[in-house]
Amino acid sequence: MSEIFSFATLRRLVDQWITEGRHVAGPRLVNDRLLYGWLESAGQLTLDGEARPRNSIKEFLFPRHEKLYGYKLGRKRVELTEVAPLVDEQIVIAARPCDAALGPILDHVFNWDYADATYNRRRELTTLVTLACQSYDAQCFCTSVGSGPDDPRGSDVMLYALDEGILEIRCLTEKGRRLFAGQTEPSDLEAQVGAGPEIRFDLDKVGEFLEGGFEDAQWPEMARRCLGCGACAYTCPTCHCFDIVDEGAGGQGVRARNWDACQFGMFTLHAAGHNPRSQQAQRQRQRIYHKFRVYPQKFGTLLCTGCGNCTRNCPVGLGVRPVLSAISRSSTK
Amino acid sequence: MSETESFEPKIVAYVCNWCTYLGADLAGTNRLEYPANVRIVRLPCTGRIDFNLIIKAFEMGGDAVLISGCHPGDCHYTAGNYHARRRWMLFRQLLEAVGIETERVQFTWISAAEGKKWQKVVDELTEKTRTLGPYVGYREVCEANG
Amino acid sequence: MIETLRDTCRQLLRDGKVDVIIGYGQDPVGQAFSPSDVAQAFSPSDVARASSPCSSTQARCPGSDADGPVFPVFIQRPEDVDQLVWNNRCYANLSVYLKRPEIRALGRPAVVVKGCDQRALVVLEKESQLDRSQVHVIGMACDSMNRPKCETCDVHEPRGTDVVIGKAASNTNAISADQRYSAINAFLARSSSERLAYWRQELARCVKCYACRQVCPMCYCPRCIVDKNRPQVISTSATLKGNFAWHITRAFHLAARCVGCEECTRVCPMGIDLRLLNLSLAQAAEENFAFRAGDDPQAEPVVGSYALQDKESFIQ
Repeated sequence: MSEIFSFATLRRLVDQWITEGRHVAGPRLVNDRLLYGWLESAGQLTLDGEARPRNSIKEFLFPRHEKLYGYKLGRKRVELTEVAPLVDEQIVIAARPCDAALGPILDHVFNWDYADATYNRRRELTTLVTLACQSYDAQCFCTSVGSGPDDPRGSDVMLYALDEGILEIRCLTEKGRRLFAGQTEPSDLEAQVGAGPEIRFDLDKVGEFLEGGFEDAQWPEMARRCLGCGACAYTCPTCHCFDIVDEGAGGQGVRARNWDACQFGMFTLHAAGHNPRSQQAQRQRQRIYHKFRVYPQKFGTLLCTGCGNCTRNCPVGLGVRPVLSAISRSSTK
Repeated sequence: MSETESFEPKIVAYVCNWCTYLGADLAGTNRLEYPANVRIVRLPCTGRIDFNLIIKAFEMGGDAVLISGCHPGDCHYTAGNYHARRRWMLFRQLLEAVGIETERVQFTWISAAEGKKWQKVVDELTEKTRTLGPYVGYREVCEANG
Repeated sequence: MIETLRDTCRQLLRDGKVDVIIGYGQDPVGQAFSPSDVAQAFSPSDVARASSPCSSTQARCPGSDADGPVFPVFIQRPEDVDQLVWNNRCYANLSVYLKRPEIRALGRPAVVVKGCDQRALVVLEKESQLDRSQVHVIGMACDSMNRPKCETCDVHEPRGTDVVIGKAASNTNAISADQRYSAINAFLARSSSERLAYWRQELARCVKCYACRQVCPMCYCPRCIVDKNRPQVISTSATLKGNFAWHITRAFHLAARCVGCEECTRVCPMGIDLRLLNLSLAQAAEENFAFRAGDDPQAEPVVGSYALQDKESFIQ
C-alpha cells in the first residue's frame, strides 16, 4: 500500500504555499539551464530535463551572504544591533537526494563547538521535499559514496515520479506529514527505484590512499589543470567554508558571513604574507582530504553526496569524481 | 511641499587638482554663486579618476557625477587627461550596456581660469538633475540584498 | 587532423624543442573505472542499488567517458601524445595556462590554439606577458565549436602560429561589424531601465566563484583588485551591490583587451551572459579606435596609449 497524488495537486499546493507567504524554492529553468531558485509560481517548477540543477540547495540553508549583526562606532563604544530573527517558513521542493543529504552532514559542523543559531533556525524553518532520481548523467556518482537515487538522508518527504503525472509520496518526518496531510490518496502503485549511476571508484581504496598519500606525487599532476576558481565549492551541497567581512562606511555597517572557497589563493593567505597553501595542487588536495578524510574522521560522515556538481561546473572538467577515479585506478594497479 | 519640489540633487564632482579644482576655487574667490548640491572630491589628475569612483558615487546615493579636469594639452602630467578621455569613451558604452543612465555622468574640461565655466556647469547639471529626479535605479539595486 | 597533431607534438618533444604540450585530452574509453572491481560492502543496505552500468537502465545517461568533458592536458613525454584529442568540444582557451606558475615550472611550452584563442596570445605579447619566441604555437583549423562566438568567427584558420594543422571548410569571408555586434545591438535597443532590470535579474544569481576571472587569459594580475582590501574598493559579498561592482570592473578591466573567446560565459555555473558586457566594450573600441583586440600584432593597445585627435562628443 502506498500514498499517491498528482503533479497537478503538487502545483496547486506550491501556489497555495506561495500565496500563504511561505518561501518556496525548487528547480527552475533559467536561460535554458536548470537551477534551484525561489519560485514565484508553481509554473516555474521544472521536474524533468537535466539530471539535476547546476547549483545546490545549500543557498537556502546557508546563504552566500548573511548579515550577522550591525555595528556603529560611537565615541567610546561600539553599538551593536541585532538582525531581525528569521520567521518565514521555507519549503524546498523537488530537491535531489544528493542535495537533501546536506542537512544532516552540515549539522555537525554548525553545531560541534558552537551552535550556530542562524543556521539552526533556518533548518527548523525549512521543509525538504525530495524527488527521487530517475535519470543520471555522466557526472553523477552518488552510488560511489554510499548513497543512491532515493537516499532518505535529510529529506522530510520523498517523492517518486510514477507514470502519467502521478507521484508516490513517502513522508519521512512529522514536518513532511504535516505539509501534505489530506492531500494524498492510497494506492497499490509502488515506485520502482533504479540502481543509480554506475559506481565510479572504490571508496575503500581511496581511503587507503588518503591515509598515507598526503605527499603523493600524483597530487600536482592531478591538479595541474585546476584554474583556482570556486565553481566546485560554490555549487557543492556540502562545501561550507565562509569568510567574515565587515562592510560599511562612515563608522557604521554590518558584519556578514560570505561563502569562501579553499581553491582561492586568498583563502589561506596570512596577514603577514605567508601562504601555507601557496600551490594550487595543495588546495585541490585540501578539498579532497577535507571531504574524504578530515570530515569523516571528525564527524563520521563523508563531506560529499556524489552529486557531481563540482565536475559539471568545472571549467576544465576536474572535481571529486575524476580525482577519485584516478586515485582508485592508480591504487588498483 | 511635493517630493520633487523638496528634491535637492546630490552631485559628486571628481576634479583634478591642477585645473578644475583651481577653477572652482576661482569661482569662490570671485564670489560667483553656484548651487551647494555639488560635493567636490579633489584628485591629482583626471587620469587618476578610477571608474569605480563613479560606481561608488551612485552606490552611496549620488544623483549625478561630474568629472572634470584640464583641457587637452594642459595636463600637469602631460597626458593624464588624454588617457582619461580614451577610457571614458569606452566606459560610457559599458554604462549604457549595464543600464546606468549616462545622462547623469557629465564630463567637462575646466581650466584654472574658468571660474565662470565651473559656475555654469554646476548650475546646469544641478538643474538637469533636478529635472531627471533622484537616481533610484542603481541605488535600489545596491540596497537590494540578493 | 588528430594524427598530424599527435605527430607534430611527438616530434617537438622528441627533438627537445619543447618540454610540455598544452593540449586537449579526454578520459580514454575503456580506462574508466570498472564497476566489477568494487566490493559492494560499503553500500548501506536501505537503498537498493547495483553496479549495473547506467546505459542498461532507462535513465538518460551520456554515460561513457568518451562523451565526458574535454579538458586540458599537459603532455611531457613523446609516448603520451596519444592522449591528445581534437573534436568539437575543445572549447577551452588554453592560452590561459601560459601565465600559471604550475605550468611555467614545466619548462618551455607548446600550446594548441584555435583561431580565436590565438588572438589572446597577441594581446599577451603586446602587454609584455609573453615572450613569443619562448612558446611554440600549434594552430588548429576550426570550423565551429558550436558556441555563439563561432557564428561570427573570421579566424577559422589561426594566424601567427608556428604551424597550422588542418584546413577549415568554413567560409572565411569577412564578418561585418553589424554581424559581430548583433547581440549587443539588440540588447542596446532596449531602454536603459530594461537593461538595468535585466542585469539585476541575471547578476542576482552570481555567487562570485570567479570562474569568469580564472579562465580569462587576460586576467593575469597576481592579485585581483577585488582581492585587495586596503582599501576594499569592491564589496566581496555576492549581493547585487557587490556583483554589479565586480562585473562592471571585470568587464572594464578587459576593455579593448578582451579577444572574445567567451570562456567567461561558457564556464559561468549560473549561466550569466557575460559576453554582452564584453561585446559592448569591443564595439566601443572598434567604433572609436578601429581597434579589435588580438587582430593586429602591430597595433598599439587602446588603453595605455592615446592620440591627440581622439574624437568624442560628450565632453563639454
